Amino acid sequence: MRRKNLVRTLIILMVIGWSVVVLYPTYNVNQLESKAEVYYAKIQESTTLNRNEIRAALNSGNLQLQARNHFKGVDGADLDSFINANVQPLIELDDKIKEDEPKAIPLGLDLQGGTYLVYEVDLPQLMQNLAKAKDSDFEAAIQAITARVHSTNDDFFDILPAVFQEKGFRLNRYFGGTRDTDTKIIDDLKLEAEDAVNRTLEVLRNRIDQFGVSEPSITKQGSHRIVIELAGIQDVDRAKRIIGTTALLEFQLEAEPEKASAIRNAINRVWKRKIDKMGGQSSDSTFQADTSSTQGKLREDTEVNLRDVFGETAIKEDRPESQDSSAANADSTVLVDQEIFQDRPFDALLADLGGDIAVPTKNRLAVENILNSPEVQSVIPNDSEFLFSNRSHPAGDQEYYMLYILKKEPELVGSMIADARPSIGSELQAGRWIVNMELTAEGARIFSRVTEKNVGKRLAIVLDGRVVSIPNIQEKIPSGRAQITGMANDKEAKDLAIVLRAGALPAPVEVIEERTVGPSLGQDSINKGKFSAYVGMALILAFVFIYYKLSGLVADFALLLNLLITMAVLAAFHATLTLPGVAGLILSVGMAVDANVLIFERIREELRMGKTIRAAIDNGYGRAFTTILDSNLTTLLTAVILYQFGTGPIRGFALTLSIGIIVSMFTAILVTRVVFDQATDRFAIKKLSI
Amino acid sequence: MKFFATPNINFARLNRPILLVALSVSLICVGLVIAFGLTYGIDFLGGTSIELRFEKNLEIADVRAALSQVGFGNAEIKTLGTPTEILIRVQDIEPGTEISDAIQAEITKAFPDNPYSVQMVEKVGPKIGAELRTDALWAILVSSLTIMIYIWWRFKSLISGVGALAALAFDVLITLAVFCVFKLEISLSVIAAFLTIVGYSINDKIVVYDRIRENLKILRRETFENLVNISINQTLSRTVLTGGTTLMVLVVLYLFGGEVIHNFSLALLLGIIIGTYSSMFVATPIIVEWHNRRQLNRSRVVAKVPAN
Repeated sequence: MRRKNLVRTLIILMVIGWSVVVLYPTYNVNQLESKAEVYYAKIQESTTLNRNEIRAALNSGNLQLQARNHFKGVDGADLDSFINANVQPLIELDDKIKEDEPKAIPLGLDLQGGTYLVYEVDLPQLMQNLAKAKDSDFEAAIQAITARVHSTNDDFFDILPAVFQEKGFRLNRYFGGTRDTDTKIIDDLKLEAEDAVNRTLEVLRNRIDQFGVSEPSITKQGSHRIVIELAGIQDVDRAKRIIGTTALLEFQLEAEPEKASAIRNAINRVWKRKIDKMGGQSSDSTFQADTSSTQGKLREDTEVNLRDVFGETAIKEDRPESQDSSAANADSTVLVDQEIFQDRPFDALLADLGGDIAVPTKNRLAVENILNSPEVQSVIPNDSEFLFSNRSHPAGDQEYYMLYILKKEPELVGSMIADARPSIGSELQAGRWIVNMELTAEGARIFSRVTEKNVGKRLAIVLDGRVVSIPNIQEKIPSGRAQITGMANDKEAKDLAIVLRAGALPAPVEVIEERTVGPSLGQDSINKGKFSAYVGMALILAFVFIYYKLSGLVADFALLLNLLITMAVLAAFHATLTLPGVAGLILSVGMAVDANVLIFERIREELRMGKTIRAAIDNGYGRAFTTILDSNLTTLLTAVILYQFGTGPIRGFALTLSIGIIVSMFTAILVTRVVFDQATDRFAIKKLSI
Repeated sequence: MKFFATPNINFARLNRPILLVALSVSLICVGLVIAFGLTYGIDFLGGTSIELRFEKNLEIADVRAALSQVGFGNAEIKTLGTPTEILIRVQDIEPGTEISDAIQAEITKAFPDNPYSVQMVEKVGPKIGAELRTDALWAILVSSLTIMIYIWWRFKSLISGVGALAALAFDVLITLAVFCVFKLEISLSVIAAFLTIVGYSINDKIVVYDRIRENLKILRRETFENLVNISINQTLSRTVLTGGTTLMVLVVLYLFGGEVIHNFSLALLLGIIIGTYSSMFVATPIIVEWHNRRQLNRSRVVAKVPAN
């Protein structure tokens, strides 16, 4: 008996020792963070920085600089002593914290703030990219597929063949070889999709890594979803922009001027024919003379009802990225040059800005719709396309988007970029932010050839279908270096560089789920969690002691141990602690009491029946064991199911509950037993205080 | 200190009325759930939810006016605790639209001298919402079934499993009814709470069943009904104690845990109270009644029912 006790006591002591060691980093980090709070407060007092800004500066390593620049007090000696007293210590503390942080228990997004994003790869769009020849039938099919994808939960690769069958096309008309069977094509497409999702994962991982978030998490979910967790991130919108942009970069030459004007004339003709067919101007057209803003305008414009421009055709759906969604309904107006409206209705919507086509912001949607209409599409040759500029330019008192006619086939694509760096330009671009690009060997060769052959022409740099800049080719460029100009600020240049370096996404991605928690709410939750845990524990410990007296103390010891070991296991497995996780911890302690109660109640019964103390203890433990095992097992079963079904915070709950229960079997059964055994061995106990 | 040292409450005598009460309460709850409807959170309906903390107090009416400018005049707007914390909830109609950006831009425009920080943003696409609903349902079904099978296996008695399942359904139903009546939001964490209730509630049943199983071996002279009675009485102190301590802890969590896990802790609280009740007043009466009916169909008197 004594030897057995010795071994068991040793095991328990080892477990306690291990727990303390494993948990020390967490404890340390907590202590250091409380100390750091003091300095945060002091710095906030004496500078104009808020907590988030201090945090960001610490992360980028320039807190001293920021503190100096934003100091509220007097420069000179005061500033230096302030830096020494507050900024330096904070930087040192932060370094120490960062050292131990990887070994501490990681906090969930709901406790440390951050964002959880689920992206879905746009498979219909991917199919469009993969199709060998697209026509209007195909477009219609894709639209039907997209609608069905959004409204049902069916698998994409069931929807695709189903829709094609309904429309009566064969898959091999658009995909694969002409003699491939449907099954083979679907299989190939599935492989392509899988490959695309994997590539998307890599590209996004690259982009996020360059972001500078500590421990970002990016994983695949299902067949075409990607889950991204960014803990402690400050600027969620910027992150989403960088992640969500397809970043397809293409270099396209401008179409030959003769060709361009030919296309424009064709469009005017076709559109005039269409309006005439619709009955021309309706009798209740409203021609508003725009007298208020004739100053500095490019021409005489009048406001015309959209219905007159389009006939009774309804205006199609609103584009998400256009700012003027109010222009979507047919009762709004566009600016039209009345003189030429009769003969050239398309040109009437446009203006001329330095030789380029300029579209007033108000007219943009209308112009887009005209360009996308089937009549106009049929007169635009296959090797040309119209593209807008990515931002508007002011001229006079209006904003204009530029419209370019470009060769559809790109000369260079984004994959030929080896490196991209943001920097401040010189000469013509002095003081403004640009992105310097370095092309790959092959890209440099192609670029050299293109520039050599097209001196004097313009090469448009197109990002995601919008023209970012359209520089003139002045000479042959053999070096493989190019610049993208027109960046609004440093952030835009940096973000574009990140995205170019990481590469383009094979297909667009869409956010289907987002959960963001701000840092102050996270801190709030931490405080509330801690407080509830302390109060709850205190109540349990007190109650158990009062009810079971000295034996209660033994149980209390076991309960505290339970908490310690559970948290150590969390730290050892690097399992994330969430707010429901804290609830799970507390709950598992409450349920651990159950095991103790079962044992103690049995012991009381045995004593009542007149057994000796030793026998009572033995029987108590023996009889209670199966009950404890059974009941804990079923709770564990539900916790496992919860873990499978839940995400993030719920998983944290299931995890801490499970670990807490398993550990409680150890502490309630083994630990208390050893204490009892040791006590009865060493002391002659006449009456058990229970 | 001791509660219930040697209780001898005759539960069995009240079996029939108890079962009737349980049945009627269940039916009323079903009615309540249908009448009031489930208040789904955006987790299951899809939508966008934004929580903003302002520096100064704000009138909800003003916020609504501002949101109407961007077409969200019928958004759900409420304060959380203090008048400076506003929660805005909008249902997502089209996938992919950036509602949260539009709302934030408008708020900044409408209240230029009242800066705010974004505490929380949750956006769930409608397809995800539907998926989560299905997942939740599956999770509840699977765990209930698993438990029933487990009990069947351990106690070699199907009726024990059925009785436990009935009690579990009872627990979840009443908690659900309370949520419906008070229009409390059912989110992912509330479903997790329900699953936890299932797991915890079964604990209680097993402790009683265990006692019954043990007593069947020792108290061979008693009628089954008496035996069950004795078993419940013997485990009464344990049930009250454990239930009590767990409850204590959950009350603390409910009061101090904060807004985020409010509904979660409430669900757990209710579920555990009802779960404790249903062990004694739903699961066991079902077993006893079942046994009694089978006895009437047999000539034997010996309690040879749920034995190992």
